[in-house]
Amino acid sequence: MSTIVLDRAAVRVAVDGRPVPKTLLKELSLQLTEQRIGVIGANGSGKSTLLRLLNGLVAPSSGTVTVDGADTVREVREVRRRVGFVFTDPLSQLVMPTGREDVELSLRRSVRNSRERSSQAEATLDRFGLLPLADQSIYELSGGERQLLALAAVLAVDPAVLVLDEPSTLLDLRNRELLRRTLAGLRQQVILSTHDLELAMDLERVLVVDAGAVVFDGGPAAAVDHYRALCAVAPDAGAASGAGPESPRVEQL
Amino acid sequence: MSSHGFLLANYVPGDSLLHRAPLWLKFVLVLACGMASFRIVDWAVAAAVLVLMCGLFLLSGAGLLRLFRAVRPVLPVLAAIGLFQWWQLGGPTAARIVLNVLVCIVAASILTATTPVQRLLDGVASLATPFRRFGADPERFALTIAIMLRSIPFIAGAYSDVRDSARARGLERNPRALVLPVFITTVAFARQTGDALAARGLGEAED
Repeated sequence: MSTIVLDRAAVRVAVDGRPVPKTLLKELSLQLTEQRIGVIGANGSGKSTLLRLLNGLVAPSSGTVTVDGADTVREVREVRRRVGFVFTDPLSQLVMPTGREDVELSLRRSVRNSRERSSQAEATLDRFGLLPLADQSIYELSGGERQLLALAAVLAVDPAVLVLDEPSTLLDLRNRELLRRTLAGLRQQVILSTHDLELAMDLERVLVVDAGAVVFDGGPAAAVDHYRALCAVAPDAGAASGAGPESPRVEQL
Repeated sequence: MSSHGFLLANYVPGDSLLHRAPLWLKFVLVLACGMASFRIVDWAVAAAVLVLMCGLFLLSGAGLLRLFRAVRPVLPVLAAIGLFQWWQLGGPTAARIVLNVLVCIVAASILTATTPVQRLLDGVASLATPFRRFGADPERFALTIAIMLRSIPFIAGAYSDVRDSARARGLERNPRALVLPVFITTVAFARQTGDALAARGLGEAED
């Protein structure tokens, strides 16, 4: 299992018109060694920024992030060899017109021989049950098939760690289940962010992120409880704000 | 995204003479058509070359529909260019310019319809190998072609979506409502593609 260490890592960005940079992620120290790790939190809480730190897509403004000792800034190539990244929307990740071509593109750096590359791509597609769809346009695939294909394209180069940014957000129930089963069967260390609390319950360790800080770190059940408490709205808050069932605005609608 | 009409035809598996032709020969064909577009001055010759190219395309077994799909996205632009040139330089010159552009598109479509993308990329990478001595990475040349092939249908699709949105809001005559969103979507797409390539370790300098 890989060891990912965040040592006082923080992410800040300069914003026009602001005298001080905006903090996306507050100073954070973590050691990630479990095989299944989740990150949950509200939209804009810093989940994606935290995940993007792990394969060098975002560089820390201060502190360091290392994957098995390789620094995500100074040794970014090595880090990306070890850490595969799957985006929320597979269409922003799939570069080539068909699945076969996209998986072959992933293999271009590591497999020089085109026949060998082609056979490895077929084997990868076959492993995910995507071989019959290999030559279909990526735009003709369903959301679940595209997400599986994005996963296959990343796993084709056999990374040690797989990072997934809200992989089930665009999927229907059937495809979510398919994704859950697929992720459960992977030998890789998996780190994912999600709004799917059922998926979060499958994991060993879950971090709750709020306003750019990790506010809870522990088992999935306790983390989900913590997240629910964090997001809970007082029962009379809606009525007080005029959005409750008896508010005049709702009656007008 | 509602539309993904490719400017060039996608690869169509087959065993035609064109499928079996060496890649360099198909590259030469495209190059020759590009050069000829500067040399041909008679619209009738341009029309004859276009007929020949269309014949070659159909010989590949890719079909008339794919040929039409390959040229369809560019027809409105060609119509605008043709009308402008007709007004400026007269009918024969306008016809020659439009026909020469079509010749180039059909020639490029013959290449893409009969060559798997990976083979095309291998070919581009090997063509670019001599530039390695100047510090260039041949794989980056290939990746550039791959990104271009992906980006054209995306931008065409973005334009189609934005046009539909503008129509729904009654803004179809407002150029700002068409151009700005397409521009912003395209920039966002470029950033996403950059992130996706970086995340997969593609496009980085070789060891």
